Amino acid sequence: MLRHLFKLIWNKKGTHSLLIVEIWASFMVLFGVLSLIVYNVSNYVQPIGFQYEQVWNLDLAHNQDTIQEAEKIQRVLQRVRSYKEVESASRMSGNTPFSANQSSGGITYNKVEVHGDFYASDAELSKVLDLPLISGRWYRDEDMIAKFVPIVINSKMQEKLFLNETALNKVIKMDDNRYFKVVGVVDRFKAKGEFMSDEPLVFEMIGKDNKWNSNILIKTRPGTDAEFEAKMVKDIATMLPGWGIEVSYLKDSRLTRHNITLVPVMIFLIVSGFLLTNVALGLFGILNLNIARRKGEIGLRRAMGATEGKVTNQFLGEIWVLATFSMILGLIFAVQFPLMNVFDLASSVYVMAIILAIVIIYLIVTLCAWFPSKQAARIHPAVALHEE
Amino acid sequence: MLSNYIKIAWKVLLRHPFYTFITLFGISLTLTVLMVITSFLDHLFGTHYPEVNRDRSLYIGTVLQQDSAHTSMSSGPAAFGFLVKHAKSLKSAERVTILSNFSFSNTYIHGKKIKLNTKFTDADFWYVTGFQFLEGKPYNEANIKNGDQVAVITDALRDQYFEKGASVVGKNIEIENVIYRVIGVVKGSPPTRVYTYSDVYFPYTAPKSNYQDKGMRGRYIAIVLAKKASDIPEIQAEFDNHIGSISKEEIRDGQQFTVLIVRADRYFDHFLNTFARDDTQKALFYSIIGLVLLMVMGLPAINLVNVNVSRILERASEIGVRKAFGAPSKALLWQFIIENVFITFIGGMFALALSLLVISMINASGWIAYADLTINFSVFLISIGVCLLFGLLSGVLPAFRMSRLKIAEALKV
Repeated sequence: MLRHLFKLIWNKKGTHSLLIVEIWASFMVLFGVLSLIVYNVSNYVQPIGFQYEQVWNLDLAHNQDTIQEAEKIQRVLQRVRSYKEVESASRMSGNTPFSANQSSGGITYNKVEVHGDFYASDAELSKVLDLPLISGRWYRDEDMIAKFVPIVINSKMQEKLFLNETALNKVIKMDDNRYFKVVGVVDRFKAKGEFMSDEPLVFEMIGKDNKWNSNILIKTRPGTDAEFEAKMVKDIATMLPGWGIEVSYLKDSRLTRHNITLVPVMIFLIVSGFLLTNVALGLFGILNLNIARRKGEIGLRRAMGATEGKVTNQFLGEIWVLATFSMILGLIFAVQFPLMNVFDLASSVYVMAIILAIVIIYLIVTLCAWFPSKQAARIHPAVALHEE
Repeated sequence: MLSNYIKIAWKVLLRHPFYTFITLFGISLTLTVLMVITSFLDHLFGTHYPEVNRDRSLYIGTVLQQDSAHTSMSSGPAAFGFLVKHAKSLKSAERVTILSNFSFSNTYIHGKKIKLNTKFTDADFWYVTGFQFLEGKPYNEANIKNGDQVAVITDALRDQYFEKGASVVGKNIEIENVIYRVIGVVKGSPPTRVYTYSDVYFPYTAPKSNYQDKGMRGRYIAIVLAKKASDIPEIQAEFDNHIGSISKEEIRDGQQFTVLIVRADRYFDHFLNTFARDDTQKALFYSIIGLVLLMVMGLPAINLVNVNVSRILERASEIGVRKAFGAPSKALLWQFIIENVFITFIGGMFALALSLLVISMINASGWIAYADLTINFSVFLISIGVCLLFGLLSGVLPAFRMSRLKIAEALKV
C-alpha cells in the first residue's frame, strides 16, 4: 500500500516538489516558534519559590556623599523596621528580584567549577521573601566569623557543585581571606520571574559595615498604600540629604519582566499563525483542485468495488506520505539544534518542539485533505466515468 | 493591450471567489505584516520627534573597558567629565550635548504616587533635540551656572501632578524632598526614543546628578550634532583621534584595563553595537533577520505559486485558442505576469488599508505612550517594491508553464 502511494507521488514529482517545499518551510517555522514556546512554558510551570506581593524595593544611591555610607544605610534600615506598617525588611544587593541587574561569577569546590548568580543579603531576606529552606537554616548575624562568610545555595547549585552530596557545612575557599560556609539550601529562587530557567545561585551574607549593597527590600502589611510610602520617603530624605531614593513594587517590576519575554513571543505567534493559516488555505485549494481533477481514477476505483472510505483513505495516505517526506527533510535541519547545542537550550526542549511541530503539520494536512477527498469519494462512478 | 489584460484578470478574479480569497488573503496579510514591521522599525530608528536631527547625529553611549586577556570586561555609560573632555571639544561638530542615561524617581501628591523618569542635561540638549515647548522655555547656561533648581516637565506629568491643561510655569514640583521650579512644559515623547525620553528634565548642576564623578564610567551619554550628514565621517575620525590619544595610565582607570573602546556611531549602528560586539555576531544578526524575512515572504509566495500552478488548466482553453491564432509564447508570458502584478497590487491596496488600521490601533492602544507610527513615503515605497517582487515571484513560474502548453493539449481539455 505504502509503496503504491509512494509511486503515485513519484510519478508527479514535478507538481509535488513545490508542495514539499511548502510543507518543509511550514515545519521549520513551526519548529522555531514551538522551541521558543516550549522553552518558556517549561520554565513557567516551575514555581519561582518566593513571595513578592507585598514587597517593596527601596533603592538608595549615595551620589556624592561618601562619608559613613554603611552606618547611614544601617540607620535607615532600623528606621524602616520601626514602622508599624512594615512586617520585615532586609538589605540586598542591586540584583533585586525582577530587576534588570545581574551579578554572576564562578565558584569552585573539589575541582568542580560552577557558574552561577550571586545575591547578597542580610539575615532577614528569607523572612521578607518567604523563602522556604529545604535543609539547614538561613544565615544569622552570629554566623559571620572572621574569614568565614555564611552562604545559602539553591538545590540546583547543590546538585551541580556537590554532585548531589549534602552541601550543609561544606567550606568553599574563594581566596586566602574569604571562605564560604554553606548553612542552608533553598529549593528555588527564580529572581527574574517565572520565565527564567532554574539556574544555580548563591546567597552570601553582607555585614553591617558593607556600603555597596544599598537596596532594602520591605515587606509591608496588607493594605499599606502610597500615603505611607510618601511619609517613609520623606523621612528617609531628611535622614539622607543628597541621596537618591526610589521605591518600586516587586509586583510591578514582575509585570515589566514578563512583558520583555511575552511581547516577542506574541509577535512570533501572530506572524507564524498568519503564515500557517495562509499555508492551510493554500493547501486546501490545491488539494481541492488536484483531487477534483482525478475524477476518472476515482470513478474507476469505485466501479471496481472500492468503498467511499477506501478512496478517502487513499488521498489522506498520499498527503501523509508527502508530509512525512517533507518533514524528514525538515528533521535533517532540526536535529542539528539539539546535536550542536545551539542557543544552549536543553535538548528536551527541541525534541518536544519537533514532536509538537510534527503533530500540528499532520493535523493541518489531514484537515486540508479530508474535505476534498470526502467530497470526491462521494461521486457516483457512473457520473465520474461518463465525463472521461 | 494592457487594459485588456487587466480586464481579463478582473474577470478571472470574479470567477472563483474562493481562490480569489486565498490569493488576496495571502498577499494582503503578508504585505500588512511587512508594512507594519517596516513602520515599526522606522519608528525605532528613523528621524522623529523629539530627535528631529537624528539623521545627522552621532551617539556616544557606551564606554567599554577590557583587560588584555579579555577575561574581564566592563561597559556602560560614560562619566560627565570624560565626555566634556573628549566629546564636547569636537571641533568639526555643530553642537554637542551631554545628557544622563535614564534614571527613575517617584513623586507623591495627594496620597497618589507618580512614577518618574528623570534626566539631567546641559543647555545644548534643547538645541540638538527639537522639543516642542507648550509653555515656558528651556533652561540656559545661566541657570546651569547658578545651579538653579529648575525643571522642564512633559505635558503628561503636568496633567498628573497639577491640573489637566493648566498653566504651570513658575509653580513648584517636589521630587524626593527637593523643590524645583517648573520653567517649561514640553510635549512628551515615546519611551522608544530611549536617550531623550523622560518625564522631567533637570540642568546637570541640580542635586543628585552625579556629574562630579571621576574616572571614565558614569551615567552620561553624548549626542554629537553634525552640520550636515556628510560631515559624519570627519567627526568620527576626530573623535577616534581623541580616544586614541588617551594615555595608558588613564585607560587603566584604577584597575587592570588595557583596552578602551568608545565609539561615536549613528543611532542604528550604536544600537547594533550594544548587543553585537564583533563582525561575526553582526553577520549572525543579519542572517537571522534575512532568514525571518525569507520565511515571512517566501512561504506565502510558494503558496501562491502552488495555487497558481494548480490553476493553469482552468485557463487551458483560453491559452489554446490564443496560441492557435498565433500568439507567441512571450506575449502569453507577459499577459500572465501583468495579471499577477495586477492582483498583487489589489492585495497591496487591501494591505495598505489593513496596515493603516493596525497602526492606528497600535497608536491608540497606549501600548507605547505617544506612539507616532506612520506609513511615511519611504515605508510606502518599500511596500510597493515588495508588491512588485511578490507579484513577479509568484507569477513567473506559473506563467512560464502556461505559455509552454501545447496547443492540441490545451484545446483538448
